[in-house]
Amino acid sequence: MSLTETAQQARRRDLRIPLAAVLVVLALAAPFIGSRYITHSLIIALIFMLPAHGLNLLVGYTGLLSLAQAAFFGIGAYTAGLLAVTYGTPFYVNLIAAGAVSGALALPLGIPALRLRSTSFVMCTLGFVIIGQAIAKNWISLTRGDMGLSSIPKPYFELGPLSFTVSGTTNFYYLALIIGTLATFAVWAIVRSPAGRNMVAIRENETLAESLGVPTWHYKLIVFMISAVFAGVGGCLYAYYLTVVSPLTFQMYYSTTMLIIVLGGGAGMISGTVFGSLLFVGLTEALRITPELRMIAYGVCLLVLVFWFKKGCAPLINRFWNAIGGAK
Amino acid sequence: MLSTIVEQSVNGIVTGSVYAIVAVGMTMIFGVLRAINFAHGEYYMLGTFGAWFSIDYLGLSYEASIVVGVLATIAVAYVVGQLVMRRMVGAPAESGVLATLGIALILQNTIILVFGGGYKFFAGGYIEPVSILGFSLAQQRILILVVCLLVFIGLELMVSYTRLGMAMRAVSQNVECCSVVGIDVPQVVLRTFMLGAALAALSGVLTAPVNVSVYGGMGELITFKTLPIIIMGGLGNVRGTFVAAMILGVAESLVATYVGLQFRDTVGFATLILMLMWRPHGLFSTQARF
Repeated sequence: MSLTETAQQARRRDLRIPLAAVLVVLALAAPFIGSRYITHSLIIALIFMLPAHGLNLLVGYTGLLSLAQAAFFGIGAYTAGLLAVTYGTPFYVNLIAAGAVSGALALPLGIPALRLRSTSFVMCTLGFVIIGQAIAKNWISLTRGDMGLSSIPKPYFELGPLSFTVSGTTNFYYLALIIGTLATFAVWAIVRSPAGRNMVAIRENETLAESLGVPTWHYKLIVFMISAVFAGVGGCLYAYYLTVVSPLTFQMYYSTTMLIIVLGGGAGMISGTVFGSLLFVGLTEALRITPELRMIAYGVCLLVLVFWFKKGCAPLINRFWNAIGGAK
Repeated sequence: MLSTIVEQSVNGIVTGSVYAIVAVGMTMIFGVLRAINFAHGEYYMLGTFGAWFSIDYLGLSYEASIVVGVLATIAVAYVVGQLVMRRMVGAPAESGVLATLGIALILQNTIILVFGGGYKFFAGGYIEPVSILGFSLAQQRILILVVCLLVFIGLELMVSYTRLGMAMRAVSQNVECCSVVGIDVPQVVLRTFMLGAALAALSGVLTAPVNVSVYGGMGELITFKTLPIIIMGGLGNVRGTFVAAMILGVAESLVATYVGLQFRDTVGFATLILMLMWRPHGLFSTQARF
């Protein structure tokens, strides 16, 4: 509020808390309100939100445009799928393993890639996706090649004598919702920490940040690894949800979708990524009538986004949030 | 043994020529626009489809179909250039990536919508083999080699001596200065873009008889082959692109013979990553890295 405003000025009511409460209730009750198909779409949106959160840390906060998310998504999916099919380990073990393997592999991949600047970096990260697909196709003894891994069991938890199996769309929705919420809080914690401010400093001016004593190289590498962890966790969930993993998990399409979610929702804003994943997954699901028309419409949306919504939906969300916030 | 290596190398050089013609268009577009064109392979596909259409539906000869394919692609490129590429001057890298990805989706799926997604047989071209020094080589491959050399000689001359070529070089060095001295930058971008798309289409029409099959998704693979080439060649560098394309063509051919056909499509990016570790500027770039 500016200093010139006086106390007499009429204040609108603060609707932010009621709205947030309504959203929470809606999120919790969604499987019972909507059809099974809507629940399915929401699950896909929640799954895609995870790698998108990771990408948002890279693109939105650190300023590194990466197309490697699909590679780490695929690595996570394969790690979880292989562990579940071969060793039958419980879900939470596979989830952690998927994140850990993706994050660990991001280290050797990130060291050469992060030495590059903008365009070369984009190409290098795109290369990871292509090479990942080739490995998944050709390392037949491990990945079963083009056949992929099928019949991944339902997620189950085992803690001592207690065990719980997630079966059915509704249960899976809650699982995805819990993981998605935790991931969103994790991103929030990272961004709010001093590390988050250093990331923004790197985005704004890397040379200046370095001269002020920010270890930019280490930050970039660690953020790259964190983004891979998010993608790996997302890949694990995706594998469990579809119950199959194939080399097609390493597809440019996924990297593109993540990028669209982040930039379309609004890079550098957590609510933007959440909103973007709902919007764009909803969009692709709504356009499912004919696959070709759907992709054409998707392309048109991209152009609209680039030329009319340069900052994604973030400014709109912000304006709406402030408008209902009571302050004039 | 030796003759296999020589034969595969010759095949690789032919493949390299195809890549070179496609990639040089993309590298020139990068030079003036500072944006990677993710839709570049789609113009290759459009050229091939134009030629296939004019042979199958209009009953034209192969020579005429080359003209039709290239002209049709130029027409599409003009529309895309007017609507999209002109507006990308000075835009950030993300918008370039997103916009061209969008165009790729639109072009590719429009073709699939109109002609169906299946593989189509391309009936045309000169497929009789000729034997030179004991090696047999299809006439079409010789044609590709000759056209590639002519294209590169032509481009060298154009970049050095014509008005458009000089404007292109100027724009690729400094957009602001060009605007100040009165160069119509969006116009240069549009023309470069149309030239690049025409070259991609030409390459597509020339390769179609060798590849035999034509399908809507074929552009994507070409885009992915072209990207490592233009980075290796040093972005915006015409000669570097030529050498990088030849290296990649021969490397792919040898890998396909001695390692396995299924690894052929990863050679480009694997080489790119190895090369970038050793020389982050690209093989032939003397400028600061992009």
